[in-house]
Amino acid sequence: MQRIRFIDRMASGKISRRTMLRQAGAFGVGLMALPRLPQAAEVLTCLEWAGYDAPDYFKSYVGKHGGAPNFSIFSGEEDALAKVLAGFKADVMHPCNYSVGRFVNAKVAAEIDTSKLSNWKDVFPALQTANGVVMDGKVVMAPADWGNSSIAYRPDLVDADFAKNESWGIFFDDKYAGKVSMLDNEVAIAIGMMVGGESYEKAVWETGDKLATAAKEWGAKTVKNSRFLWNDPSELQQALASGEVVAAYAWNDVYKNLKREGVPISYARPKEGYFTWFCGLTLLNTGKADPALAYDFIDAWLSPETGKTLIEGSGYGHANIKAFEIADKQAVADMGITDPAEHMKNGTLFIQVSDAVQTEWNKTWGDLKALKQ
Amino acid sequence: MRPTPQRSAWLVGYGLLSPALALMAVMLVAPLLAMVVLSFWTQQGFEIDRSFTLANYFALVEPSSEPIVWMGIPIPLKYPVPAILLGKSILMSLAVTIAVIAMAYPMAYFLAFRVQRNKALWLVLLTIPFWTSYLLRVFAWKIVLGFNGAINSGLKSIGVIAEPLSFLLYNPLAVIITLVHAWIAFTVLPIYVSLEKIDRSLLEAATDLGDSKWRRFLRVTLPLSAPGTIGAALLVFIPTVGDYVTPTLVGGPGGTMIGNLIQELFLRQNNAPLGAAVAIVMMLVIGLLVLIFLWLIGFHKLRSRVG
Repeated sequence: MQRIRFIDRMASGKISRRTMLRQAGAFGVGLMALPRLPQAAEVLTCLEWAGYDAPDYFKSYVGKHGGAPNFSIFSGEEDALAKVLAGFKADVMHPCNYSVGRFVNAKVAAEIDTSKLSNWKDVFPALQTANGVVMDGKVVMAPADWGNSSIAYRPDLVDADFAKNESWGIFFDDKYAGKVSMLDNEVAIAIGMMVGGESYEKAVWETGDKLATAAKEWGAKTVKNSRFLWNDPSELQQALASGEVVAAYAWNDVYKNLKREGVPISYARPKEGYFTWFCGLTLLNTGKADPALAYDFIDAWLSPETGKTLIEGSGYGHANIKAFEIADKQAVADMGITDPAEHMKNGTLFIQVSDAVQTEWNKTWGDLKALKQ
Repeated sequence: MRPTPQRSAWLVGYGLLSPALALMAVMLVAPLLAMVVLSFWTQQGFEIDRSFTLANYFALVEPSSEPIVWMGIPIPLKYPVPAILLGKSILMSLAVTIAVIAMAYPMAYFLAFRVQRNKALWLVLLTIPFWTSYLLRVFAWKIVLGFNGAINSGLKSIGVIAEPLSFLLYNPLAVIITLVHAWIAFTVLPIYVSLEKIDRSLLEAATDLGDSKWRRFLRVTLPLSAPGTIGAALLVFIPTVGDYVTPTLVGGPGGTMIGNLIQELFLRQNNAPLGAAVAIVMMLVIGLLVLIFLWLIGFHKLRSRVG
């Protein structure tokens, strides 16, 4: 009952400073003397896109280590980068060809030793040396998935003319105000400039007054017309399924999933062009886990089984040549193009701009969203 | 030597407070100081320039010769976003506070004066919505207000509307509705306590001296319950200005508040020093508004009167 007496005495103010210090000291010594809990080995931490945290994408990792790594989900690469720079200790990141350079420039990416990846030999040779995979002679991203960004729309809910003349202009057309959804990304401004006749490759490098004017002319319009700016593909999918949104910037998976659910949906080939991209896994130097774990995780992503899941489940392409051999023939046929190099050539490949330009675009887009009336 | 009575009271006070004080120092004061320090630095690309400068604060008030027109109001600032969003957030929070008090006061009044038995049960019933997480409640509102949500499908099934109403969700109104619901139970309790404390003989005296029920309420009940009501209002106003989750989920781009800007500055725009400056200015403005409000209503006099 020593403890209760002590509290009673403290409550009635009968404790001298010395007793108080002695008790506090005893508490501290006691705490130090407690046996330490055994520390488990560090778990791998991955920064991933929403949906890519499903175990189907890294089966061999789960098989070998008995469980999934820890995931932190991001909605855009800039968010993930900021998180890492703020001190978040991640081991692996999933950037894309146009964004991996930001991680390299920020000095958080590490070189990948491809000899530690058993599936590397089956990666399309064009991808093994592609810009973004290799930077300054070093492999900084193991290519994994590739696909498109275009417009997914409900042919039953948009004007019949649109199907004949598919265009990014739908996001800037007041007729569809409140019925479209743009990705919450600064690329929206570049898309506007493309509708205005500029080429993508030129548009993304615009800065200063030109960017400010484009933001006012195009960016503000699509922010205003968007029902919401989407960050989460499942939210977008629901909105398209219910008809709340009739057209949206979308990746292949949204189209594929809605098609599977029997929702009338089309994936546009806009006259201004559709986008292509490829993404992959980057090793970060900020992590605490054993790098061997990170290599196992990356290798699992490069496996043909993961490719099969991607091709059949989402309609994305995969970096492993063998994935196309084991995937469902119909799913492969639905993709149309099965060669990534061919794929990049047919669309507009997202490109990487300088850090200064990217920063200016981030700010412009942030201000635009904040000022929506 | 036995401690003098005065000293022992002092010791007891701090002794009992010490866990809370230690926690506050570590979890609140230290991060706050870090924020203040951060706000005097600047972001240069991926690096932070640690030389002292007021540039971030100046950026928030830097005048511009070409005013940006927002909602018909010309705002002559070079970087008007924080000022606009702060003003907008304060107005939205004021609306939330007024709505919350208007709804919570009758509830508390009913509890204090009409409920005779099982008061504890009533109080527990009030807290039922809080048995689920805040996030879940925000999502619930998204479902209620959504395109295929409860309100829209209900109205559609009884034939009032043909097309779902789209103005319910993704705008400032949706944020206000959700915040009102989220905060209402927090306000009933302080108002209830101050109503419960009112000496019932004062009410009798007012009636005996010829006051009507309405006049009695205005002259006795309302002033005596003011401290609790004002406390409740501040409890709602202060945290809702900086709310971030609710506008993110139900606000859409039009419902953005200052908290979203701070998040955006820290994360996507990778400008933590500017974000810190905006956060500090927000805190100071809220503090100033609260002080002005308390001074205007003469809170000090009010408290001493109630005792």
